[in-house]
Amino acid sequence: MNTAKRLIPLIGASIALMVLFRILVPGFLNPENLVDLVQQISVNAIIAFGMTFCILIGGIDLSVGAVLAVVGTTAVYVLGYGEAETQSLFRFFLAVGAGLTVAVLFGAFNGVCAARTKMPPFIITLATMMVARGAALRFNQGRPISIPAHETLFLGLGNGRIAGVLPVPVLIMLVILIISAVLLHRTRFGQHLYGIGGNREAARFTGIAVGRAEITVYILCALFTGIAGIIATSQLYSAEPASGAGFELNAIAAAVVGGTSFTGGIGSIPGTFIGAIIIGTLDKGLNQAGVHFSYQYILKGLVILAAVYFDVRRKR
Amino acid sequence: MLVLEGITKRFGGVTALDRVCFDLCPGEIHALLGENGAGKSTLIKVLGGIHQADEGAVLFEGASVDVNGVTAADRLGVRIIHQELSLAPNMTVAENIFLGREPHAFGFMRHRAMADAARQLVERLGLHEIRDVRKSVSNLSVAHRQLVEIARALATRARILVLDEPTSALSDAETAALFTTLRRLRAQGVGIIYISHRLEEIMQLADRITVLRDGRTVGTRPVSEVDQRELVRWMVGRDVVDYFHRPPHVAGPIALQVTGLSNDRVHEVSLTLHEGEVLGIAGLVGSGRTELARALFGIDPVRKGEIALAGETVDIHSPREALRAGMVLIPEDRQGQGLVMIQTVAFNLALPWVREWNPGCRPDLSRRHSIIQRAIEGFAIKVANAEQPITGLSGGNQQKVLVSRWMEHRPRVLILDEPTRGVDVGAREEMFRLLGGLVREGMAVVLISSDLNEVLNMSHRVAVYRDGRILKTLDAADTGMEEIMTLLTGVKTA
Repeated sequence: MNTAKRLIPLIGASIALMVLFRILVPGFLNPENLVDLVQQISVNAIIAFGMTFCILIGGIDLSVGAVLAVVGTTAVYVLGYGEAETQSLFRFFLAVGAGLTVAVLFGAFNGVCAARTKMPPFIITLATMMVARGAALRFNQGRPISIPAHETLFLGLGNGRIAGVLPVPVLIMLVILIISAVLLHRTRFGQHLYGIGGNREAARFTGIAVGRAEITVYILCALFTGIAGIIATSQLYSAEPASGAGFELNAIAAAVVGGTSFTGGIGSIPGTFIGAIIIGTLDKGLNQAGVHFSYQYILKGLVILAAVYFDVRRKR
Repeated sequence: MLVLEGITKRFGGVTALDRVCFDLCPGEIHALLGENGAGKSTLIKVLGGIHQADEGAVLFEGASVDVNGVTAADRLGVRIIHQELSLAPNMTVAENIFLGREPHAFGFMRHRAMADAARQLVERLGLHEIRDVRKSVSNLSVAHRQLVEIARALATRARILVLDEPTSALSDAETAALFTTLRRLRAQGVGIIYISHRLEEIMQLADRITVLRDGRTVGTRPVSEVDQRELVRWMVGRDVVDYFHRPPHVAGPIALQVTGLSNDRVHEVSLTLHEGEVLGIAGLVGSGRTELARALFGIDPVRKGEIALAGETVDIHSPREALRAGMVLIPEDRQGQGLVMIQTVAFNLALPWVREWNPGCRPDLSRRHSIIQRAIEGFAIKVANAEQPITGLSGGNQQKVLVSRWMEHRPRVLILDEPTRGVDVGAREEMFRLLGGLVREGMAVVLISSDLNEVLNMSHRVAVYRDGRILKTLDAADTGMEEIMTLLTGVKTA
């Protein structure tokens, strides 16, 4: 498929942005600054990969930001349960496992509702977004729960570096990038998703198990969100029940800037990755250039609009 | 009042209407009769300003008028009620009647005035069934929705009312009520053009009948002077064009056996299909043919009955299960249900067989390529390049894509629902020739088509299908179009 051709203008746009910020901010392209940039986009990119699957089949998942918060609070709650003085490998895995399980349950609920009822995914996930947010606020009366300093494993997930260079979140993001890309672009499951997004009825007539694929997609999206949630929590050194607000919009923006069509059937994982880079570059660059955050929002909005405008025009 | 003179309309190279003549008097019901594709709808669209005639004139009360758009037709007082109703189901009867011309004061809706006006209109037209104008249209039966359409059409000064197949979804009692209404309108001086396949209805209702065939006027007669058999002959009266041949009838063992299949739209259908046999389903639009196909293929739930493939009873609840049992359905709506239109030819050809060319996570592109090539060559699909968008293909080639992709593994039973809609004669002929070869190799085919000529030529046996039932199964060699058309239109033969 023409995925590669589609990516050229996107890559061009991201390079142009980087050059622009190099001019405005002298040290912008220094290796350390770039590593920092990639680290900052990891959480959004991971969520955006899952979101790409949802949008590709003509769906959406608005609950990711709230699910991210409930994953964090659950994991940290389990981690700190019983006021232990030292860290244990067992409790570390238990905490991460509990967080991811909660995420998967939300995803499964979204998926089953989307596949087996006629409720639109927008509404389903709007509702689960509120439920998840409420659930997160149940912990510690809505106040942040800090992670004990001796939990070095858990804190390492968000803040550690491998061989002192590669941040752990970036490594995890790259692994998920590869898994998602293989899944979407190399497997029959991925091919089926393009079929479902392109024409749901036709997919059914060709014998594709549409409902099953849809449930899988929502679970996958939630699972990725769970992983992102663990990382984000670790980066904050505490579980914030109010965190993740607006993350769904950033993830949607990355997917859409990356060429995912809102009507379904068009999109790619590398595209979303570059979309996430563009959004991240913009955030960091504008910040470092000293642009007031009010203007940052305005500029980001306009860039998203422009990217989608050109993408839509090119598809004609 | 209205005269259409020598109307000719061409679409590309196809002549849809060829010097058609038609006239209508005030206070008359004039029936327009013809097979599917005879040109009735095109003629109505010319009258309604949707299409412009290439040649010919429209005379209205003696003066030549230029119907160059929908508004022009509207100004003349032409009101068309199409087969698919165009109401907003969640709005009330009154709101629907006045949709687009709501009574208002400075932009604020005058609900009471609207309801009163609607009620007066309904009373004046005698449509007592929809007297309750504050009722939501979604709560009305199809018959009553039609009355709302009629009321809407006549809310402004209407001179000519056109009804396209209004009774296809109505019961006998509802049809009778509609006829009473139409007769009352006729008495009020409205000229009515009534389109239908159903001869018996037309004989009851119409004053005059015009028959169209292949885009030409065959003739116009007052109802009192026509003989039903003559009308049937007028409708089908061309020589059977022999542009495709059915393969020799070498019926093998039973491929598909259906016993007492029933659901909401299908009633006690039983049929037997052998390997190497083509069973035609002859039915008019709206007879429930597509619903039969959908029930067989596991799309619509089946309430009762049994389906057996090759002697084995199968339980089919989804297309997946139907495909696994060896049955393929080529749906009637090619673009809506068949193809992924935003994708390439190759994507569409390879989609059903992803499991084969990509069992894990390493697609075997040469395998994919050979599947695609076999399909393209097998049905002589005209493509510049397999990776070209499917939108660039003609209707005939798109249809070939849909059929040929399943021949990678020949299904036991192939169900074709209207396979030649929008397909030109050349591609049609080629497709049937290639299918004939596959039938000779033992594939069983169910052919659903509105084109009687096609059904008769391709099938070994023909099931005459009406109102969700098989009326009769005939041997294609021993029957003719007239016999089938007589059964389909419900003319009682003496």
